[in-house]
Amino acid sequence: MLATSTVVAYGLATGFERSAKAADLADVIADFQPQPLSRVVPRIDALPDLATASFRLQLTDVGLAANGHFANDGVVEVLEPGRQGFAILAGHDLSGPGEVLVEQGLARAWGIRVGSTLTMAGRGSLRVIGITETPDNVAYPLATPRVYMTRATYDAAVGATEFLPFCPPGELERLRARFKGHFRLAANRRTCPRFEGRQAQGGLGPQSSDPVVNEVDLWARSQSGLNALLVQAREDSYGIEDLSFVTRAGVRVLVDQAAGIVIALLVALSVVALLTAAVMLAASARADVQRRLMAIGVRRAVGATRRHVAALGAAEATLVAAPAASVGVLAGLLVASGPSSSLLYLLNERPPGGALAPPLVACWLVAVAIPVGLSAWPAWRAGARAPSALLNGGELRGGTGAGRGGAGLVGLGGRLVLARRMRLFATLAMLGISAAFILLMLALASELVTLENDPSALGQRYQLLAPLPASDARAVAALPGVAGASARYELTAADSFSLGETIDVIAYPGNPTKYEDPPLASGRWLTGPHEAVVGVGLAQVLGLSPGATLALALPSGAEVRLRVVGTVSAIEHDGRVAYAPAGALLAADPAAPEQIAVRLDSGASITAVSSELASLGAPPSPTATVAGGGSKGQTLVAALTAILRAVAVVDGLVCLYTLIQALALVAVERRSTIAVLRACGAGSAAVQRLLAGAALVVVLPALLIGVALERLVLGPAMSRIAESYAALPLAASAEAIAVAVLGLLLLGAIAVLWVARQADREPIAAGLPL
Amino acid sequence: MTRLISRRRALVEFGIGGAALILAGCDTSARAPAAGGSTLLSVWGDPSADGNLTVGPGAPLIDRTELAQPSKLGPELARIAHLTDAHVLDAQSPARVTFLRRLGPPFNSTFRPQEALTAQVLGGAVRPINDFGPDVVIQGGDLIDNAQANELHQAFSVLRGGRVERASGRGPYFGVQAAWDPDPFYYRPAIDAPVHPRLLADAVAPFESVGLRAPVFSVLGDHDVLVAGVVVPTSVTQQIAVGDRAVWDLPTQLNVGRVSGASAAPDGIAAPAQIDALIDELLSVPGVHVPADSARREVSVEEMLGALRGFGSKDGTGALLDYGFDVGTALRVIVLDLVRRGGGSNGVVQVGQAEWLARELAAAGDRWVIVVSHQPLRSSAGGDALLALMDQHPRMLALMWGHTHKNQITPRKAANGGYWQISTASLVDWPQQARALRVLATEGRGVVLETWMLDHAGDQGVGELSRELAYLDAQGGRPQGFAGGALDRNVRLYRQAARS
Repeated sequence: MLATSTVVAYGLATGFERSAKAADLADVIADFQPQPLSRVVPRIDALPDLATASFRLQLTDVGLAANGHFANDGVVEVLEPGRQGFAILAGHDLSGPGEVLVEQGLARAWGIRVGSTLTMAGRGSLRVIGITETPDNVAYPLATPRVYMTRATYDAAVGATEFLPFCPPGELERLRARFKGHFRLAANRRTCPRFEGRQAQGGLGPQSSDPVVNEVDLWARSQSGLNALLVQAREDSYGIEDLSFVTRAGVRVLVDQAAGIVIALLVALSVVALLTAAVMLAASARADVQRRLMAIGVRRAVGATRRHVAALGAAEATLVAAPAASVGVLAGLLVASGPSSSLLYLLNERPPGGALAPPLVACWLVAVAIPVGLSAWPAWRAGARAPSALLNGGELRGGTGAGRGGAGLVGLGGRLVLARRMRLFATLAMLGISAAFILLMLALASELVTLENDPSALGQRYQLLAPLPASDARAVAALPGVAGASARYELTAADSFSLGETIDVIAYPGNPTKYEDPPLASGRWLTGPHEAVVGVGLAQVLGLSPGATLALALPSGAEVRLRVVGTVSAIEHDGRVAYAPAGALLAADPAAPEQIAVRLDSGASITAVSSELASLGAPPSPTATVAGGGSKGQTLVAALTAILRAVAVVDGLVCLYTLIQALALVAVERRSTIAVLRACGAGSAAVQRLLAGAALVVVLPALLIGVALERLVLGPAMSRIAESYAALPLAASAEAIAVAVLGLLLLGAIAVLWVARQADREPIAAGLPL
Repeated sequence: MTRLISRRRALVEFGIGGAALILAGCDTSARAPAAGGSTLLSVWGDPSADGNLTVGPGAPLIDRTELAQPSKLGPELARIAHLTDAHVLDAQSPARVTFLRRLGPPFNSTFRPQEALTAQVLGGAVRPINDFGPDVVIQGGDLIDNAQANELHQAFSVLRGGRVERASGRGPYFGVQAAWDPDPFYYRPAIDAPVHPRLLADAVAPFESVGLRAPVFSVLGDHDVLVAGVVVPTSVTQQIAVGDRAVWDLPTQLNVGRVSGASAAPDGIAAPAQIDALIDELLSVPGVHVPADSARREVSVEEMLGALRGFGSKDGTGALLDYGFDVGTALRVIVLDLVRRGGGSNGVVQVGQAEWLARELAAAGDRWVIVVSHQPLRSSAGGDALLALMDQHPRMLALMWGHTHKNQITPRKAANGGYWQISTASLVDWPQQARALRVLATEGRGVVLETWMLDHAGDQGVGELSRELAYLDAQGGRPQGFAGGALDRNVRLYRQAARS
């Protein structure tokens, strides 16, 4: 468990930085509307703290095909010479014509290898000469497929433009005006340069050697000067439209959030699991010493000192713990590394590889040190008692609890367990916590489906949007299955300073966090009538921070100015989002588009509520709409589910171990009782019934504890951790509880059979009282 | 003013030089700037190119021999400080067109991140000049930025010494750099990196200036008498300057194409008609209400000439600030006024100036001659004729100017031995330096002009903030190479003996 947690947590916690370092990821990535390189370079060269910059033309919606796979939303990055922000995982860098680099996620999904052939929109074949890892985004299929080529290769490959979509009316004229002097426009062309880039003969051809770019990657000399660099870049960017800056830290936020709440939960889960594993190791070690009390008494009787007893206990524990820890760490590594690596690859992050060795060694040391220490300590304490007392304490004497059990061997088994109340308590705690975790993971797995492939849904706490007037909010709130409803206004505004930024403005009449609650990056949420909370992306572009003023030009022509009180890690619209009070928005634009955001009761049916809403006059649109096809989400969910499954399997093994340990202790302590039963003719079935009674006394309360713990403590706690990302009702369902019950009963049966078999192997005479 | 170096002075200078050598060999990571601002002792730089200025070892004088070979140094003849383009400005004036800056060249100078601290920087430049101990200080023009009376008052207060009050307005700073201004194209020190929350408060706080100890001789610059260095003040601009309505944001309907196509000098656009058209448009767009202040009135050319003459440049009474003066007995300085009275930032030679210069050169006799103007003659209309006159003069030593905001030294070779053309950086853009000049005789009746840069210093940290911001400015002096190269700064410029 410890190793599993470590593999997952360490991999996820360090994946981005590891990959960013290996790929030499740029400190700042700036995207903008295509510009001639000569117009961009002087502005970039003037920036302070700049180590170097590289320029690209990023083309979107390009058809790519290889190995029978096809995608029409491909991204082609046309590289200008210079430093690049990706690592070559296989093959080599671009060096000649007709070569292409393929992003590793695409290569895995399509089975592309170095030497494979990739076709770009039916425009000829390109030879794959390298596989890249680019941690500036998640990998295919979570993101669109991405390839890299030189400008010469691109120009040679794209001789005509059939694969490009047709121009909307007026678009070609707009481009003609915009790039006058840079392009030669054929009079009869009907194809539209979506990317507005340079194209070869037949379409838009270059008149000069001044290529067009729409992305600049910047590397700073010093991280301390990065903010000043950004400020200067912004001040020097007038006239460059749709400019957005993403810093390396911002990329990390985006990538981490693409995996969403699940990563945060897994990390939290791993930490809790680590603590649980430690507790379980400690309890089992203590129980083992308890089992060996008689042997300690014998040693003391023959003259062994207290220190010698403790040392011997430690040594014996080491002999057991060291190989056990080795096997456990290895098993944890084997179980978790595969799924963990799959997830990391999806995030375009690199598995830790050899870097995992130190934390695993630490795991091993912890796994050995805890039982050794906890064996030595009770042995030390036991050594203080008189040898005669120890020898007497080696066998259970009659207790008050023993007489309160039911009749028969099953009842006797139960009474034997109940007689050791402290041990019972520890065993119940271990099993209860394990059961609770199993239930939590089952609940989490079911919730993954609702989150799949829609990272933009993170932070949304409403489930439905109804195109109804704001005045209907009260009526909607009264519908069955609806936990809350609020008017929601959303429009696209522009910045007031001609930066060319479009801003998604969202407004609620009251506290927006009931319905949308992306994580706060700084400041606080709205409390006043003229305040705004902005996305980090918008804050970076406009230089906003708490205390600054946001000026928005609304579609109505009005302008609204709001004081920024916080920034949030919203990722929709690249973080260019602003939350504002409805009053301020409506004062400037009374006709702002309105909807009603609807939160559902836990367990309420979206379909049923949708029907109710339709009866009010408008069909709602569920917010969990999957964008871009299901394969992305399925892939991510598959990877995450595999991790959950691995953790659950390890958790189940821990339960089995705990049960065997508890029953083995009963068998050892009650060896004389068992021997008497066997001497009287009882067969192995009778011993099994006895142990089954003992197991039931442990399993059934543990299940109750587990269910209560999950529903009352762990589930709500995890939901609270997750609430800044999404509303996740993580209470275990009846189905999950049934699975857990059946699973634990099955494990109990296995433990009973195992221990009974061990007891049967002991000669009857060995267990009879002297 | 032939002067022999005294034994005590030689010892002091030897000590300073020795200290500089010792410092040069030390670790520079924790070096403090030279108290006197002399770049012979310490130099501000960014060796790691990460945007952080640090103090490095001083830059020794480098011999430049394009006009003459080095020879043994003789007695000192004169000491001059050249302080130019201070651009002391009223950052809260509604007469400014700061929003044009975002259009890039030629409007870079309409706003600067450090612009609220120009008076403090000038105050910081006074100290090193006093420490240098010049015989005269040449104030090279563009002492102020927008031809406003309050700017002039503030600049004179700094140069004279005493308490320097804020330029205009009352209460806290009220301008485009306030944190509450949402315009992202302005550096707002309270919220933008590098964050300096107290910068604007310090900018409007009164401060004490020690004042220049040496006599000041001024050159007229375009910004001294023209609005934004370009436009002739009119009743309309006057009304805007003292009024309560400012335009801070770029008007959406502004005809950007018309104004952005203008050619320009580094400190302003050349064609005033383009600004006139802009003013007409600005009068029709919504503005920001600012405190009115009659102290912001624009000064006329006559008033400015009178003020400059009254301050130190006593010579002359005409319509141009053309005059000459002796520094000691071996050097004559001739000041040329090239400012276009009709507007525009580039220089122009007026009718009669060539004849006047010829007379002045002739009157210099056997003294070495330094000619000073604000705009460079080589880019001024009619400048070639004046350059030709100087080419013929046998004792022409140097031609100096400001305006370009750039350190640059080039030899001008001529039949009579040639002379050095010296451009000095401004105090407003990076590197924010003044120039020290020392004229010494050399063996064989030649002469050498030793010159090095003076950083502003001792301005209680505010000046250093200005220097930092000026350095970071992506439209400022750093990317434009205003600091020049090593051969443009601390050099020894040899001039051979005059040919008879």
